[in-house]
Amino acid sequence: MTENIPRKLPRITIDQKKCTVPFLCKRCLQICPDAVFRVQRVLEREERLRELDPRVDGNYVLSAPRPDKCAMCNLCLDSCPADAITIEL
Amino acid sequence: MCWLCDQFGDTEYADGLWYLNPKNYARNMYKLRDPSKGFQGAGVAMETGEQSGPGLPEIMEALQTDRETYERVTKEWHASLGLHGQGAQVIPMEHADRVLELCSPIALIACICRNAWRAKDERNDMEYTCMGMGVGMLKWERWPERYKGGVKFLNVEEAKEWNHEMDRRGFVHILMLFGAPYIGGFCQCDYPDCNAIRWRLDFGVSTVKGHHVAMVDHDTCNGCGVCAQRCQWGALKFEVTFGKPNIDLFKCFGCGLCETGCPRKAIKLVERKSLASLAEVW
Repeated sequence: MTENIPRKLPRITIDQKKCTVPFLCKRCLQICPDAVFRVQRVLEREERLRELDPRVDGNYVLSAPRPDKCAMCNLCLDSCPADAITIEL
Repeated sequence: MCWLCDQFGDTEYADGLWYLNPKNYARNMYKLRDPSKGFQGAGVAMETGEQSGPGLPEIMEALQTDRETYERVTKEWHASLGLHGQGAQVIPMEHADRVLELCSPIALIACICRNAWRAKDERNDMEYTCMGMGVGMLKWERWPERYKGGVKFLNVEEAKEWNHEMDRRGFVHILMLFGAPYIGGFCQCDYPDCNAIRWRLDFGVSTVKGHHVAMVDHDTCNGCGVCAQRCQWGALKFEVTFGKPNIDLFKCFGCGLCETGCPRKAIKLVERKSLASLAEVW
């Protein structure tokens, strides 16, 4: 709780053209010490829980909803095979 | 008093503990819905991910303004979770066993949180780390194309066995409301993968502490340190000075993992209400 001091948060951008199969790759999702990333199916609303083939390009989308937990350690940048992540303050 | 007991407990049952009140396991705890009609009712936000109040993006935005704004938005978030009938409470393994005797049907499913935050792909009953309860589980079976990963129905004995195995592995047991007061999920959580733990520890919203706290008997403890690996709350630490663990009772959520993990039975759960200073610490 004490870390939640208002401040400028890192801006994490993911190039969706380069990051095409995040649920299959999952390197950044599992290497991030504080789980900054999230992967979701492209389906909307009530379709959200439906099964989708993780091997198909664009079926899953990677986002970074927790920039407050990003220490800018860059482990994700090093692990990304597609060079799809950029982080700047 | 715990707000869940205050609202949903009944003094006739289990000393007023809301989750041991059979009324909260009524058959209508989850509506069966026709997929073509979409979601409705109190559990909507949980399934669609939609909320009328603020959520993570708003919190992240508020964190970049000032403390006042951040605190206001966090409070609004907490309130909106309550309005949507969402809530959760930590329970110890033994109480979980009693819960499993009250509800039906019981089924294992893939964990939604681990799926989203760690891309864990749980595909069968050996891998499932989440349990759903109530008639809502039937829709998993009825519409397999709609609910990923499938479902495995269990009888009470199998469910208890699974509960104990999850405890052995070190997961915290959390009951989830899906449209208060109905209990629809029994989550096995750890930090940071699980929303129930994470929202609470990071932002102070959502999950309510359990009805117990854990205390160490230093005479029986041999300082092996097993318990120190099992606390997800940052409440139990190994105190180097004594070579024994100590538990911050204000941080303890009463999950009982340190108790069940202790090889010498040196840790005991005591009722939160038996300690005057903790009466309002939830």
